[in-house]
Amino acid sequence: MRARRGGPATLQFEGKPVDVGGTQRSMESGGGSLVNAQSGTLSSASAGQPAGAAVADWSPYAQRDGHPFDALYASLLPEIARLIGLYEQKRSALIPMAHLFQEHEGYVSANAMAAIAYQVGETPATVESTVSFYTLLYRKPVGKYVVQVCRNLSCLLNGAEEIMDYAREQLGIGHLETTADGLISYEEVECLAACDRAPCAQVNLEFVYDLTRERIDAMIAAIKGGTYEIAPLAQTAKPGRTWRVEQDNGRKSAGGMNVESPNNAGGIGDRSGLVMFDLIVGKAQYESRSNERLVHETTLRPELSENGHH
Amino acid sequence: MADVITPVLTKGIGELNLRDIAVYRQQGGYEQLRRAVMEMTPKEVADLCNGSNLRGRGGAGFPTGRKWSFLPNNGRPRYMVCNCDEAEPGTFKDHMLLEETPHQIIEGILIGAYAIGCEHSYIYIRGEFKRGFEIMRDAVQQARDAGFLGENVFGTGKRLEFTIHRGAGAYICGEETGLLNSLEGKRGEPRLKPPFPAIKGLYGEPTVVNNVETLAYLPYILRNGPEWFAKAGPERSPGFKVVSISGHVRKPGNYEVAMGTTIRQLIDDCAGGLRPGREFRGVQPGGGSSACLFEEHLDLPYDFDSIAKAGSMLGSGAMVVFDDTTDWVKAAHSLIRFYAHESCGQCTPCREGGDWIERTLRRILDGRGVDSDIDVIVSAAHQLTGLNLCALGDSIEPFLASVIKRYEADFRAYITRGSAQRVAV
Repeated sequence: MRARRGGPATLQFEGKPVDVGGTQRSMESGGGSLVNAQSGTLSSASAGQPAGAAVADWSPYAQRDGHPFDALYASLLPEIARLIGLYEQKRSALIPMAHLFQEHEGYVSANAMAAIAYQVGETPATVESTVSFYTLLYRKPVGKYVVQVCRNLSCLLNGAEEIMDYAREQLGIGHLETTADGLISYEEVECLAACDRAPCAQVNLEFVYDLTRERIDAMIAAIKGGTYEIAPLAQTAKPGRTWRVEQDNGRKSAGGMNVESPNNAGGIGDRSGLVMFDLIVGKAQYESRSNERLVHETTLRPELSENGHH
Repeated sequence: MADVITPVLTKGIGELNLRDIAVYRQQGGYEQLRRAVMEMTPKEVADLCNGSNLRGRGGAGFPTGRKWSFLPNNGRPRYMVCNCDEAEPGTFKDHMLLEETPHQIIEGILIGAYAIGCEHSYIYIRGEFKRGFEIMRDAVQQARDAGFLGENVFGTGKRLEFTIHRGAGAYICGEETGLLNSLEGKRGEPRLKPPFPAIKGLYGEPTVVNNVETLAYLPYILRNGPEWFAKAGPERSPGFKVVSISGHVRKPGNYEVAMGTTIRQLIDDCAGGLRPGREFRGVQPGGGSSACLFEEHLDLPYDFDSIAKAGSMLGSGAMVVFDDTTDWVKAAHSLIRFYAHESCGQCTPCREGGDWIERTLRRILDGRGVDSDIDVIVSAAHQLTGLNLCALGDSIEPFLASVIKRYEADFRAYITRGSAQRVAV
């Protein structure tokens, strides 16, 4: 819905007229935050404004009537105004706002990203691009307890592998997965800066030190029994099996497409890719070794179909 | 043994509640900030820092005073940004300082900000330090209420504004230009340098990015004079250092010592030595990015130049100690996986190289390695070095190369065992 610039004064959405006057005014006054224009609060329908105005405020891209997000957005406006006020440029408040929405929704929803985009004057795509860079910002729902066990060097030297195996076994889930009841999400993370008390973990970003099998048992039992000392996260939607978003592999960079077949057309696969890698390394001796391996390791040979073609 | 440890920043931790501004002030806290703002010119403060020869404690060891001197006099606003995005494997000093002594950090940042003529300083705290962030938030509020920061500092009409920014999980934001991008609300991808942050940093203006520990030493340099700091330790890399010791030692923890203390003293006198019946095999002296050192290096003085001369680096001051139970292939894989995971993906050598080296090591660990793998990873790690925008890609090689050079047999053993099993099947 292109209501942003030069659109008609009255828009229709799902057959009903939607008043976007407020939006247009604020957009025209330099795209500034609506929060200031409305002195920190959103009057919404309670002040007798036509329904829809509030919706148009948080997302000119997806106008809907009576969306549950409206109320949350309205209640967070003063905090959003405060966050933006902390910085000399409002885009700096992007990550703090994402933290804020995640605190209330359990993840950074598409609505939240649209709202943030509106507040900082960027597109939702730009906001998602930024949010997707950071591992602590979830774009899909996660469990009420996110257990993050450190897998880095100092923890590894102090038995993190055994702890991780045990935790996976007891939880019945793997790295980046959530239990079927949506209670616990499990992740193996990089150095948490608590190497003096290894192996360590964080549960909902609170540190848990000196992990043992017994402590894992006690932790899981307490979480399941509702008696755990660390408070649960908000959860507004049921989590899926994983919160990993496929296109980015769960990592910051997209390096190394996760293709297992050596017959992958691009030549980038678990094994053939290593042959390619040898070539990239580009020294003659590796090149010959690669060929040698192609001859000797049957698994590296491309399978030929009956008529001799790939 | 205890005489090796000289607490400056760590003084009072575990005994006093230094999170309380009243307790911190009883120890002389904020007195140096007051003195700087009310009695000294910014240049005088900067000269004191210069005179102390203070070098950056975040990793690169760049002289702090020199960093400040690069700021151009162009009349533009300047920014002081404190880097508390501590995530270097093995490092946990800033974590402790943040949670235990937040006021010391605030005072250091504000003295630094005053010295460079900055009116709005920022601290970037890594996303995982949620508790540290909350502690810092309370401390800033206390300092604001006391009139030590804000629009009218100590009633002088001078402005020292302060904002705490919490990241959201990205090691690369510890790289100063990645940090600035993240602080601007962007992806934390490092920028092309030059221009360096001193010329174009936060919001395109001249900016200084300093580590927590570096700035926290400023109040003490002001209090005790630059000579006091310069006299501790070797001339070219003087002062004190909070060293995070972890791994196979009896008492892992943060120990503050004068620069030039030997590695052996740090391991034996501070960290209680190895566990009973274990033998020393190696030590990583400066975080995940530093090359491993061995028995012959144990009596090296722990300072920037001596460690660099031995082919490694002091880095962030994080020592990880390895004994004879270490599985070197797993250790190397763990660190390489870290760099592969944390690569921002901008530069192909780092993004692809780190990933393939990680996969090759994983293959060796799985018993599917081939003989040429070792040469390939060493060569690849070497060849991807120096081709990236920032130092993350360059950090892949040192540890990997140093342990393969020393313990190649351990890597070969995995491969031989694997192929023997394949033949048996």
